[in-house]
Amino acid sequence: MADDFELFLASALQPDERLPDRQFVRRVQARIAFEEQLSAHRRYLVAGFVQQLFGLAVVAGGLWWVSRAAPVGSWFLESPAAGLGILLTIFLFLIAVLSARSGPVSAPRPPL
Amino acid sequence: MPHPNDEDLALSRRAASGDSGAFALLVEKYERPLRSFLARTFGADVADDIAQDAFLKAWLAAGQYDGRARYSTWLTRIAWRCRLDMLRRQRTRPVEDGTVDHGPPASTEVEDMLARLSESERAALVLCEGHGWTHVEAAEMLKMPLGTLKSTVARAKARCRALWEGTEHG
Repeated sequence: MADDFELFLASALQPDERLPDRQFVRRVQARIAFEEQLSAHRRYLVAGFVQQLFGLAVVAGGLWWVSRAAPVGSWFLESPAAGLGILLTIFLFLIAVLSARSGPVSAPRPPL
Repeated sequence: MPHPNDEDLALSRRAASGDSGAFALLVEKYERPLRSFLARTFGADVADDIAQDAFLKAWLAAGQYDGRARYSTWLTRIAWRCRLDMLRRQRTRPVEDGTVDHGPPASTEVEDMLARLSESERAALVLCEGHGWTHVEAAEMLKMPLGTLKSTVARAKARCRALWEGTEHG
């Protein structure tokens, strides 16, 4: 049989009697919405990065393929500095174009 | 006859398919006992953070709830893991010096008692003595062997009783 101490302990430790805290429920919902936005934002960034990497690889492959053509190859041999300069310019231009296309993306703001 | 966990299982399945309204019903149903347990065990200052983390993880893992255990058992287990993760991140020892606020005012007497226990003793005591969970259920929630849980509860209770008897009740 429960003694005074056990009754005291049980009543002191039981969950407080109150109605559901709707403000807390809203906070949890806001947190979930924020985490989902953040996760979508991460997926978007990763997809953009993979896309840009793929684009650069395709362009690099194309340039390499063009440079293997006989007339282009001989011109490169005659003036390698100019050739490298052109390649570098093309790359910088592409990077600038790809970065401008993705634009500044702001991360979602955490709920207050 | 419907299984007692069927309603929660249905809500959890709806949550897993993206129904945030269904999940809000689960939050509404279980926030009171969960936050009360967390506040008593870890202190009111961190209870809501842990509760939010636990509900977020429950939302993300909603598809994994299979209805075999009670939803509150599953949720409390998640919350307990959240607390362990939090401690790991902070790389600090569990607070045992009694400086934390142990939740809704029950009585300063109980707060004094709880402050003298370790976190696992508090957790075991609150779950078994205050929230009415069986030893088996509490052991499952706290990922403790049943024997360890029983001895933890007994030790915590004995320490509280000694304090209680040392006051005017003795």
